[in-house]
Amino acid sequence: MPLLEAEGVTAGYGDSEILHDVHLRVDEGEIVALIGPNGAGKSTLMKAVFGLVTPRHGSIRFRDKEIAGHTPYNIVKEGLCYVPQVANVFTQLTAEENLDMGGYLLDESVLPERKERVYALFPKLRERRHQRVGKMSGGERQMVAIGSALMLDPALLLLDEPSAGLSPKLVDEIFANIEQINATGLAILMVEQNARKALAMATRGYVLASGQNRVDGPGQALLDDPEVGRLYLGG
Amino acid sequence: MATLALTKALLLIVPAVLLALLVLPARRWRLAVAVPLGVALAFAASLALPSGILAYVVSFAIMGSVYALLSLGLNVQWGYTGHLNFGVAAFFAIGAFTSALMTVEAPTGIAAQYTQMAFGLGLPFLVGVAAAALVSALLAFLVAVPVLRLRLDFLAIATIGIAEIIRLIFQNERWLANGPQPLRGIPQPLHCLVRSQGCDWLPEWAMALFEPLSPRDYPLIYLVIIALFVAVLYLLVERACRSPWGRMLRAIRDEEASAAMNGKPVTFVRIQSFVVGAVVMGIAGALYAHYVVTIDYSHFHALFATFLVWVMLMLGGSGNNRGAVVGGFIVWGVWSGTAFLANAIEPLLALIADDLPRRAAYFRWLLVALLLAGIVLYRPQGLLREEKRVSRYLRE
Amino acid sequence: MATPTPQERERPTVVTRTARPGERARALVQSRAFLLLAIAVVFAVLVVAAQLRGVSAERLLSLAAWGVMLGGIIGLGSIGLTLVYGVLKFPNFSHGALVTLGAYFTFAFLAWLPQGEPLTPLSFGWEFPVALLVAMPLVGLVAMAVDRVVYRRLRRQNAHLVLFAMASLAMAFFLRSLIYIAWGPDFHFYYPGRPNPALTLPFNIRVRADQLFILALALVMMLGVYLLLERTRIGKAMRATADNPELAQVRGINTERVIAWTWLLGGALAAAGGTMYGLSSQLRPEMGFWLLLPMFAATIMGGIGNPYGALAGALIIGVAHQVSTAFMNPTYGPAVAFVLMVIVLLVRPQGLFGRSGG
Repeated sequence: MPLLEAEGVTAGYGDSEILHDVHLRVDEGEIVALIGPNGAGKSTLMKAVFGLVTPRHGSIRFRDKEIAGHTPYNIVKEGLCYVPQVANVFTQLTAEENLDMGGYLLDESVLPERKERVYALFPKLRERRHQRVGKMSGGERQMVAIGSALMLDPALLLLDEPSAGLSPKLVDEIFANIEQINATGLAILMVEQNARKALAMATRGYVLASGQNRVDGPGQALLDDPEVGRLYLGG
Repeated sequence: MATLALTKALLLIVPAVLLALLVLPARRWRLAVAVPLGVALAFAASLALPSGILAYVVSFAIMGSVYALLSLGLNVQWGYTGHLNFGVAAFFAIGAFTSALMTVEAPTGIAAQYTQMAFGLGLPFLVGVAAAALVSALLAFLVAVPVLRLRLDFLAIATIGIAEIIRLIFQNERWLANGPQPLRGIPQPLHCLVRSQGCDWLPEWAMALFEPLSPRDYPLIYLVIIALFVAVLYLLVERACRSPWGRMLRAIRDEEASAAMNGKPVTFVRIQSFVVGAVVMGIAGALYAHYVVTIDYSHFHALFATFLVWVMLMLGGSGNNRGAVVGGFIVWGVWSGTAFLANAIEPLLALIADDLPRRAAYFRWLLVALLLAGIVLYRPQGLLREEKRVSRYLRE
Repeated sequence: MATPTPQERERPTVVTRTARPGERARALVQSRAFLLLAIAVVFAVLVVAAQLRGVSAERLLSLAAWGVMLGGIIGLGSIGLTLVYGVLKFPNFSHGALVTLGAYFTFAFLAWLPQGEPLTPLSFGWEFPVALLVAMPLVGLVAMAVDRVVYRRLRRQNAHLVLFAMASLAMAFFLRSLIYIAWGPDFHFYYPGRPNPALTLPFNIRVRADQLFILALALVMMLGVYLLLERTRIGKAMRATADNPELAQVRGINTERVIAWTWLLGGALAAAGGTMYGLSSQLRPEMGFWLLLPMFAATIMGGIGNPYGALAGALIIGVAHQVSTAFMNPTYGPAVAFVLMVIVLLVRPQGLFGRSGG
């Protein structure tokens, strides 16, 4: 049974339609990479899944339950967490408070244990737990953002360009973290500009262009496909 | 008696025709219909209405015109440029007091002890109005320069503060305009027309026309004056808003960043439109002062001078000058009408509590506040929507 | 990606370059230190003006002490204002009416409660704090109800900020007219004619016991607000929602509930501020409107959404106002607040504690 399945999703902002009849599937334990040129609608698809954009047509099912058009507040409860591309941390709060907010739906007694798990994954955050996130570096912020999303122990994590704006060294670090998270059994759906690296570690990949599905298949197969390489991976 | 009615009718023609022009839709036949309709209306009103009712209608129309001007000024600021001016009262008051100080003769001798004022120049009415416009513009400029470059909600806070401070100044500073006491004796333009000795500069035949009028009938003459002011200012504002300048205002309101990128002097234009709106408000203040003759700080309470104006513009339709003027008259009608309502419910209130009938007037506030809340919630675009027309030469 | 307005906030700057002299001067003028200097200059002008009028130093000290108390009152009002401003992003012009309503609610409950012996040296008995404690949540509920009926509907329509501001103006007049209808335009006193002689403190500062009570209560409430915002979940959620409402939703925070709590807290504190103000002078239907400008000035000075900043701003404004009464008509209080606010807007619009470049 697929974890997340989107079929025939059409969505947009105001008068403009960005996604046309898009489909997508994520199975348990997979890493699925969503790649494509700028303006392809990758982020919009993520937002549609998470209820930040209401789809006009189509269905989005999580564990066979229809979630299209639900509010983000209710979708979180289903076991989906989302890390937006920008503004994905509370800059006025400390790192620890950010994690507390990530676990807002949990019982207070569970919080310390969950925070420990995040600190085990990102030891740097433990040192700086009482620092305001607004004063942290881009890499640290990304850790806070991913860490907060992990607090609810979701079944599926949506990552919108986790490597955006990071230095090459940090990009490798974050990707290593993502594989580490995936190894615990968590399925991951990520949008990435670093298409080669993303496909290299992905179970499967989807190529989106102009708001439509172009190609999909196993990550390695897409990397090997000369057409994909020429059109979407820059040669 | 018949000549009196005839004179009144002739005077009423001007405002009646203008009213017809305002109400009729903008078709090619508008003028051709409006003139006979206005003339008929003027004669009907003068002949059929008892003099008491006619006087009430005239005073209603004058106050309605004052508010129509305030609403028009606010439309330039809010409707066309998106300035959130919550201090209309400031410009209204500064206009009224400026014109008063310019036109009143400074008292001398014993009277000077009772009425203190910074100066009283005894200048003509039009000079007073011009000065009101100028000082109002200056105040607007001083407010606009520091605040307009900031977020638009800061302007709302700053203007509400300016209005309060202006009111405090006219309440406390005796030397300036007689402190908390009213400033009396503001001259009325062309008042000589209704006096028995007449105006010496008028030709004989014209004097004969006004001969039947007594000082009681003066508001009729003032109505003609203020109606002409409304018409002229309306046309000027309408012209300006249809001009390239007006298009620039709307461009800045809707897409400030792209207007700036297209090389429009955004801040400068925003200041301009704020000042232009304030000038119209200042003129409204001057016209108010010369109508009521006696003014004091309490006339410029935020309720009457800011809140009602916002209700008018929001009801009429922001971004639409005709809507602004029509809204001014409608809401002034509602406000005046609630006075009767308040009187009517007094006996009912007496049944609930002894104190309540004396507070019946506050139910009017309540109604107007609910009216604005209702407009904001259910019809924020107002009665008349903003016209999308780009230019007179370009019709869709 | 085709996101229409990506909210780029505080991305770490990668590019460094040498600032031009003009930019450096601008950065200097917009610094916190410069703003503090400007405020200090205002104080110096006030003190010099008072000296020229022959006001004694002792009297100035007393005035400053009263100013701290007035600052406490303004601060109680501004905390609610700044929280609502931070979470809902609009200036709530009806906050002054909530302040007035709080004062009158306390007045109404006092009439029902049996009057106890005055707790000398204070001018009131035990019934006064009781009435206050009843009035506070009630005003909070009124604020919540207004939000339910008016602002929530606007939120659902995704209405523009100005419609919120306008609706709040309408609500200001609505609440004010209700106050006029219920209690009339006349002045009221909590305890008409009851004396509250001034105590003499060190440095010959003369203050009334009631004023000390007001200050103490303000401090206790500030402490309560601090604990609420820093230590409780709902408090952290309020700060999170103010910081980034969309992310708060994504994290599973029910923002509607957070907003309701914000109104409850803001309304209750406004009621406390109004009651304290009524105790220190008298009750008038326009008292909240008179405080509105100082409250906004404190909010902007402290940085919008920052309750501690608002308190600091309120203290500055309270002291400046009281010191100015040494030589100016006290009704000009809003004008003093206004001048300070304009200085803040000119120098550093994000306020004393706001983020730079914000």
